[in-house]
Amino acid sequence: MTMKAIAAADADSALVEHTTLARVVGGQALRNPAVHGDAYQRAFSQLALGIDLQRQSVAFTPQKGSGYTLPYLKVDTYHRLNNRSTVWGGASYTTGKQHRVRWNSTSDYELLQPYVLADTLGGDTRRERYAISGGYATAIKRWTLGAEMLVRAEQEYRGRDPRMRGIVTDLTLRLGGVYRLGRYCLDAGIEADIYKQTNSVAFYREEGVIPEYQMTGLGTEYNRFSGDKRSLYYDGGGVAVLLHAAPAMGSGLWADVTLEQHRYHRKLAEYNSMPLTDLYNEHVEANLGWKRDSRLAAWAHVDYTRRTGNEHVGGMSNARYFPVIACLTMYKSHAVDACVSALYGKKGWNVVMAAGYISQNEQYVYPHRQMDRGHAYGRLQGQCFVHATSRLLLTINAHAAYYGNVDDKLQMPFANMGEAFTGLIRHQHKFATASYTDLGTKARADYAWKKAKYGFFIEVGGGLTLCSASEHQTQFLSSIGITF
Amino acid sequence: MALTTCAPIEDDIFTQARITVTAGDDQAVTRVQAQVKLTNVNTRQVTTVADFDGASVTVEVLRGAYQIDIEGVATCQLAGGAAPRVRQFRCQSDYVELVRQETNELSLNMIFLD
Repeated sequence: MTMKAIAAADADSALVEHTTLARVVGGQALRNPAVHGDAYQRAFSQLALGIDLQRQSVAFTPQKGSGYTLPYLKVDTYHRLNNRSTVWGGASYTTGKQHRVRWNSTSDYELLQPYVLADTLGGDTRRERYAISGGYATAIKRWTLGAEMLVRAEQEYRGRDPRMRGIVTDLTLRLGGVYRLGRYCLDAGIEADIYKQTNSVAFYREEGVIPEYQMTGLGTEYNRFSGDKRSLYYDGGGVAVLLHAAPAMGSGLWADVTLEQHRYHRKLAEYNSMPLTDLYNEHVEANLGWKRDSRLAAWAHVDYTRRTGNEHVGGMSNARYFPVIACLTMYKSHAVDACVSALYGKKGWNVVMAAGYISQNEQYVYPHRQMDRGHAYGRLQGQCFVHATSRLLLTINAHAAYYGNVDDKLQMPFANMGEAFTGLIRHQHKFATASYTDLGTKARADYAWKKAKYGFFIEVGGGLTLCSASEHQTQFLSSIGITF
Repeated sequence: MALTTCAPIEDDIFTQARITVTAGDDQAVTRVQAQVKLTNVNTRQVTTVADFDGASVTVEVLRGAYQIDIEGVATCQLAGGAAPRVRQFRCQSDYVELVRQETNELSLNMIFLD
């Protein structure tokens, strides 16, 4: 081979190494920066300009809207300084629109639900997100030690009434170590996170205002502080412990355990930071499996998430100060995801199969409300690398999944609920207990320049999700960029 | 640190309140037929109860702050041995904290409407 061809092949190898589906085996361990520092042999950097689009015929989850249009500019780099040390980093800017959001005037719904500010009108929101990250890992004798920092700043706002605004800052710090014991690597890491969001809704039009509800779960609201109390903030954070053991090379058993707890306090800014609610997210995840190189693996996965919501009871006000006279646990949610998975790969392609069961039980204690759902699922993912020419590498990914509803329970005091809240719960229940078929594919072409250190790529993908409630979702993603 | 402690769970969300209506020093309330309406100040949930035992009624409610309205009739025995009278009355309290784990004892003064 010529030098250029060798360099091109090396660049291809770096791409394959960094994007292979085989990374799904023990992928959770990459949150440990020491593991991340050891994970790749080759340097790989990428600058991408792209767009992600999603459209739903009807919003599956009204609080998240019926889709989004999110163009972005992103750079990621992973560089080996020498045989012992590695640095990596990334920066991205994303801007765009979230379509037809209803029943949610707060950013980061997935994180903070059900404790959000909400109204019945909603509308499109604009989003801007800045994210930077960087990490370093170095090997010292039998140890590899690493550290990583991630920062996210985001704002979401609406330019017409109701003018919601959420400004988020999220800082994550990770420290980790890997110890080589025989042919095994024993990894441990810790992660700490600090989260803030200021959230408000304003009305400019003279026609009047609509109430903003302080939602408390399953269609309930904190009545006393709903209506015209539209300025609040979230204060939170948490820690995670990551443990992982796997053979460094060859075949063997591997296992990982992740323990996380995050807490988010919602406070009323206009009433001397009166605490309204506290949300506790506790997450345990474990994987146990066997693998042979990166070609063959089988593993069992289970994760359990408990979300507990406490409501603070406000006493008699005194000069806009509300004492807290009691704290009651009113919202409880338990979610379990258990599956068995297998990976089979040969040179140039990988297939991952999974079959499992996922369930979520939500409860509002009094007046009693309950919504349970369970889905059995099967998922198939495939990936193929094709060298079309000596300089052109094609990467094709495809997946198909089916989530079939097997459990459904709803208990609601509909007779005592307002029409709008009844409509919300019926909508949520309809989509939570539907069955879904998910199909998607993605193709990427990487062309190595003559100066083979640099490459050009273009990526196009699409997806279709069919919902048994006679609705559907389409997705499109596209990006172009350079690799170096 | 956070991982060493689980989420603080407070499952004792209910409390008992024993509400007694009083008519003053010069007369004793022997029997009451009235509806007690407790409105939770924070949630606006309304609990009603009417089964008085003498001048008292016991009710279980969500721990919190309440507004209490009572309206009905009571048999009052005046001091000095006069014949008992059936009188229409009303009681009201704008703010009462019912948050104790044990029974909350409340006493409300009657306002007679006759």
